[in-house]
Amino acid sequence: MTKTAKGIEVEGTVIECLRNANFKVELKNGHTVLAHISGKVRKNYIKILPYDRVLVELSPYDLTRGRIRYRYRV
Amino acid sequence: MNSMHSLSDPGNHAVVVTQVSDTQWHVVEGDRVVGRGDASLRPDGRLFISIDAWHSAAFDSIADAMLACLPAPLYTVVDEADQDTTSAWERTGFTAARREWGYLVPTDPQVTGLGSVRLPSGVTIVPAGEAEEGLLRALDRVIRDEVEAAAGWRTMPAEVLPRPAGTTLLDPSKYAVARHGDQYVGLVRVVSLTRQPRIGLIAVRGDRHRHGIARALLAHALGSLHCSGTASAWTEVDESNAAATALFEGIGARRSGSTLELVRR
Repeated sequence: MTKTAKGIEVEGTVIECLRNANFKVELKNGHTVLAHISGKVRKNYIKILPYDRVLVELSPYDLTRGRIRYRYRV
Repeated sequence: MNSMHSLSDPGNHAVVVTQVSDTQWHVVEGDRVVGRGDASLRPDGRLFISIDAWHSAAFDSIADAMLACLPAPLYTVVDEADQDTTSAWERTGFTAARREWGYLVPTDPQVTGLGSVRLPSGVTIVPAGEAEEGLLRALDRVIRDEVEAAAGWRTMPAEVLPRPAGTTLLDPSKYAVARHGDQYVGLVRVVSLTRQPRIGLIAVRGDRHRHGIARALLAHALGSLHCSGTASAWTEVDESNAAATALFEGIGARRSGSTLELVRR
């Protein structure tokens, strides 16, 4: 887990695509968060699928929610 | 760059927006960065922006700051299923400009019906990695000129790929092409950055339309994926592109989401 000026960033794996453009992501520490795709990722047409490894920024208000900031290549 | 843009308190959130570079904005609440804005130029010259914020006050503040600095028109992209984000952009004056459907494309010839596709007379398929780069670049230029003269490349999702100025063809090894005589007449690009390959582009010269060349290229590309054990691919189709919609829906591709491009003029 990394805490930067951008927030708390954690690697995880997408385990489910949900409605409303949300994803269930299992973090490396075993916790599961509800995450959406960041605007920057969306802007670049990067598609997120189950089992993709991603970098999630956790919400400073609710650590069960996050935003997918990066999708790692296979 | 470190210029303060605004201080606001809508909904009991006291936030400060700061432009941290020519293309980036931060919104801070207390000692937390609670939002970021980003602007980037597409290869076609259009300015796209994105905002990520943890609450609507942060979104609205950063939007105000960015809209005050950046020239119109501005564009952004949202998942149509994400109603909160779409509403936030609409609040700032953005409206829908176009829609792209995302398609899940099966690769199994038994499902697509492409196993029985015969190549058009005189046409051969050159597999990915074997195309002659000079002929491929010549075809790419012809097709781009044709598209630019008609619908325009701005309706093509593939256009967002970053690339050096003046280069339109990034990696020739990703293209399979249709050859007729000593000329390349059609191409398909399949990229496999993740477990689900993406059909980034399929195009045929205007004077060779309606000969079944696109279908033959698709049969080749999907057949290759199927043989390598890939069950499905992904592609996006502009809503107004009736030919591409018919091509993909005709082989059993399913709509799986949509992306809206929003504009503020």
